[in-house]
Amino acid sequence: MIANEEGLRRLMRLSLTGDKQAYAVLLEQTAKWLARYFRQKIAADTVDDLVQDTLISLHRKRASYDPTRPFLPWLAAIARYRWIDRLRQTYRHEAQMLEDYDKAEDSHEEVVGARISIDRLLDLIPTAQADVIRYVKIEGHSIDEACAHTGQSESLVKVNIHRGLKKLSALVESE
Amino acid sequence: MKQVFDLDAMVAELEPVKPLRLSQAISSVLAIAIAAAALVVLVKGARADVIAFDPNPMFLLRAGLLLLLGGGCGWAALSMASPSVGKQGQSWKMAIAAAALLPLAAMIVALTGRAEIATSNAYFGLQCMAFSGLSGLATAIPMVLWLRRGAPTSPERAGWLTGVAAGGLGAFTYGLHCPFNDVVYIGLWYSLAVGLCAVLGRLMVPRLIRW
Repeated sequence: MIANEEGLRRLMRLSLTGDKQAYAVLLEQTAKWLARYFRQKIAADTVDDLVQDTLISLHRKRASYDPTRPFLPWLAAIARYRWIDRLRQTYRHEAQMLEDYDKAEDSHEEVVGARISIDRLLDLIPTAQADVIRYVKIEGHSIDEACAHTGQSESLVKVNIHRGLKKLSALVESE
Repeated sequence: MKQVFDLDAMVAELEPVKPLRLSQAISSVLAIAIAAAALVVLVKGARADVIAFDPNPMFLLRAGLLLLLGGGCGWAALSMASPSVGKQGQSWKMAIAAAALLPLAAMIVALTGRAEIATSNAYFGLQCMAFSGLSGLATAIPMVLWLRRGAPTSPERAGWLTGVAAGGLGAFTYGLHCPFNDVVYIGLWYSLAVGLCAVLGRLMVPRLIRW
């Protein structure tokens, strides 16, 4: 399939020269890639918005792509940046369990490479911070529920979320 | 303002773009730094030993460390315009560690009671800070403009690095005039100049480059 590093990189190079046909395919394939990338990393009802935000960023910041370098790590950096930005927004949606997803799509991680995944990013911060970010910001539970789940006090949960997001922001390009 | 998502419109408005080239940014910053240095020499005059091509060793050491600091951090800041997972360089840490030798040495010497030159010349020290800061501000402008064109994923770090780089380059340019060779003077006033630029960079740059 075309949605691999080599294919996307070639499309991006063509897009930088103004090739609209290549760009249309690139956006379509990138949208699918991003939807998989963000799956289970944010509330299911906001995945589409996040994919769109990331595509807009790709469009606006496409000159920042260096054609001599791989495409997916560049896209992943932009995607992580937008993801953290989204997590920072003070929303609190109704607890919404993440949908079960097709196990066959697990192979996505192999294609992408675990080193640029969001899970890898969360692994880089202290467990207590990653846990509450996953529980509150990704899975949509309340602060009270997070307190009961983790045994942390309310203020500690809030501090851990704040500090964790700050650390994630500084680690966007880490692998 | 949030852009409305329209995939077809994005494709329709696609124009060819030239990828950002780090060399362009480096050239701009160097040009401004050279202009600032020329202005310092023109307005304040150059050190006598520099004019005589017989520089004091302390001048060479100071200039070298400040260039290393400004260059290393500037490179790191400008590189942030083109993000990529796994690309993050750490060379700026080495540059900061090397430059930290100056205030460290100053502190040790000051503890032995030899801090008189630094404290009795506070007027010149403040002048040093002011001129270094102004020169630094000039070099920070092309860096910020460059980062605005790019996609820095850690605006806070970009702010720190821009500030330190600007402070280092600004202090280097003023150092062409500054006649003091005392390590405590240099460690105190130059560190304050770089530190002030770093804090200003951290406070001001992120809001200018966030995307």
